[in-house]
Amino acid sequence: MVQAVIFIVLAAILIGSALGVISARNPVHSALFLVLAFVTSAGLWILLEAEFLALVLVLVYVGAVMVLFLFVVMMLDIDTTTMRQGFVRYAPLGVVVAAVVVVEIGYVVWTRKLGVTFGTPVTHAAKYSNTRALGDVIYTTYAYPFELAAVILLVGIVAAIALTLRRRPGTRSQNPAKQVRVSAKHGRIRLVKMPSGRSRGGEAP
Amino acid sequence: MTITLFDFLALSGVLFAIGMAGVFLNRKNLILLLMCIELMLLAANSNFIAFSRYLNDPAGQVFVFFILTVAAAEAAIGLAILVVLFRNRHSINVEELDSMKG
Amino acid sequence: MTFTLPAFTPAIPEMFVLGMGCFILLVDVFLSDRHRVVTHWLSLATIAATAWLTVTVAENAGLLTFSDMFINDSMGNVFKLFTYLTVALTFLYARDYFNDRNLFKGEFYVLGLFGMLGMMVMISAHNFITIYLGLELLSLSLYAMVALDRDSPAASEAAMKYFVLGAIASGILLYGMSLLYGATGTLDITRLGVHIAEAPDINIGVMFALGFIIVGLCFKLGAVPFHMWLPDVYEGANTPVTLYVGSAPKIAAFALFMRLLVEGLGGLRAEWRTMLIVLSILSMAIGSIVAIVQTNLKRLLAYSTISHVGYILMGILVGTTAGYQAAMFYVITYVIMAAAAFGIIILLARKGFESDRLEDFKGLNDRSPWFAAMMLIVMFGMAGVPPFVGFFGKLYVLRAVIDAGMIWLAVVGVIFAIISAFYYLKVVKLMYFDRAPEGMKPVEASLDMRWVLSGNSLAILLLGVLPGPLMALCARVITF
Repeated sequence: MVQAVIFIVLAAILIGSALGVISARNPVHSALFLVLAFVTSAGLWILLEAEFLALVLVLVYVGAVMVLFLFVVMMLDIDTTTMRQGFVRYAPLGVVVAAVVVVEIGYVVWTRKLGVTFGTPVTHAAKYSNTRALGDVIYTTYAYPFELAAVILLVGIVAAIALTLRRRPGTRSQNPAKQVRVSAKHGRIRLVKMPSGRSRGGEAP
Repeated sequence: MTITLFDFLALSGVLFAIGMAGVFLNRKNLILLLMCIELMLLAANSNFIAFSRYLNDPAGQVFVFFILTVAAAEAAIGLAILVVLFRNRHSINVEELDSMKG
Repeated sequence: MTFTLPAFTPAIPEMFVLGMGCFILLVDVFLSDRHRVVTHWLSLATIAATAWLTVTVAENAGLLTFSDMFINDSMGNVFKLFTYLTVALTFLYARDYFNDRNLFKGEFYVLGLFGMLGMMVMISAHNFITIYLGLELLSLSLYAMVALDRDSPAASEAAMKYFVLGAIASGILLYGMSLLYGATGTLDITRLGVHIAEAPDINIGVMFALGFIIVGLCFKLGAVPFHMWLPDVYEGANTPVTLYVGSAPKIAAFALFMRLLVEGLGGLRAEWRTMLIVLSILSMAIGSIVAIVQTNLKRLLAYSTISHVGYILMGILVGTTAGYQAAMFYVITYVIMAAAAFGIIILLARKGFESDRLEDFKGLNDRSPWFAAMMLIVMFGMAGVPPFVGFFGKLYVLRAVIDAGMIWLAVVGVIFAIISAFYYLKVVKLMYFDRAPEGMKPVEASLDMRWVLSGNSLAILLLGVLPGPLMALCARVITF
């Protein structure tokens, strides 16, 4: 019963924020609605006892991907006034596509038939750790896809750097290695013997 | 009243439909388009997790783990391309992407 | 929990490509621009060694490893060898083009190799997870390669369109996979096939999943109505990148169709056949008709790709062994022809002159009779004129369609083949019967590229004269 209430509340927030994403006027608001959608989804995933993924969703998606989105939104100076013009013109097509998907899924849900018999979910013992259960298989059974995911991240790094890194001539930058290697002995400080007192002429010391 | 698998399926179906509708509605801003794609992926992920729970099979959760990884790399590349595009065209308006026709 | 080490031998080529990709990435950092050519030859050597390794491990054919997520079978090995061949051709043709334009960067080769690894993973995939990861590895490399020419507005626009539509396709494909997972309870291709075959009735959830999956796959392959990205990407990207995008990934996408639709969802043949018939006819129609009005050769070749995709789908939708074999023959020969076609565009291009408009081919016969003849072979091959290999590709597909009793579909195929012959012949007419505009320079290209390109084009003629061995190879490896 408690779960049902939690589900309904989270589902309502999720759908509301998803609608917010596609209808907000300002892309920053859309991004923030998307953050809300991810956080409520994480709540739903905890309801489904996928605690590890729920936390990963918040950490990776909200913490990294959405920050990247917000960063780009704010970095690119986008003219928001002209942005919503297409909304009305394309509304019928969008609504039709969405309606088709909803009707399809609705039919599946209505008939409650999916080909396999679903057991009642196992209630795990208090000591059960979802993270451990996933870790057990990811590094053994799923070692091959795990390596592939690593390659994909590598491609992401190579691509992002190759596309956006620009070495402009004449920029000032620090060389940390050089800074660290500096020592007093090797020329950073030079002690110069100076005669004390007033030197000849009126030169300032 | 208890929550069943089909409630979760209906929810992610609606989510997917909203994402899909967003892709078609939004012809103006590429960043919004990328956000709608994220919504679609979120719907697929929720499906996998719900099935994984009700089938008592961890494979679905593992799949979601990989989808999250890939989606992060995908978002990075997509935003990098967006930045390159903005540098070249000073616009990320979808309807201005029409230099090639035919 | 006990853990036994999986058998690594079947996947040695993949591991080698990964290792060499990382090695080249590191080596490239320390190379000065003058020595960049080292990256080029290292990449080609990697591909050659990978081909040798693939042949060596081919005796393990039929072996599943990594918890049944990786399959080494003879069909996959043949696909892989042709993938290596086309990627190697891309690298060979690309060198001078990038050198002339100060775009000769190691990233092209590294991303090219990682993309090739993605194709290998797709070809060997035996589980939804590896299918998805291989597909994404390939797609992400491709998006980045298209955008690699950072200062070209056309290239970045093409990359953005490609990225957005590709990401939507991935989302749709994943949603379909999730429904299929729920409906069958497995992610494994074999177990999926068994489950579908044993199911008493066709389940509505599986049907929706099938729809989503076909839409996702057709997006990637470029079938109408999911072809919107293809002409823009072909036109906007640098020609070597277009060559990469337009050749080897088609083989991998075809392998995906074989694994997912035939091996996994073969029990639903009657259902996906209807969907594919519509997509196939639309692709042939749009590809043949819209190409006629194109003035840009790369764009024309994009529409030609779309129409060829229609014929490939036609071979698949027959649903018989002969149909799959014909489609495999078609894919392989099409990829060889596409490589030659883009190779000739690259050959004629030089700094500041892309040579991708149709009028740039006017009077090519006066400038270079030899390469005009090569282009003639390619165009006749694509049009399906005997004795070039394109003719046999179409012949085998149409014969399989007729044998399956769909004569009307074969008639439709022939009609669109005749329509599309028109624009291929238009290119030939421009080369032989029009005068070259003033100021066109003679063709200049390095010797190795001339030789390889000539060999590539003559292969179209040779395979057309002797189609038997390649067809026998296709017949031997496809046994569904």
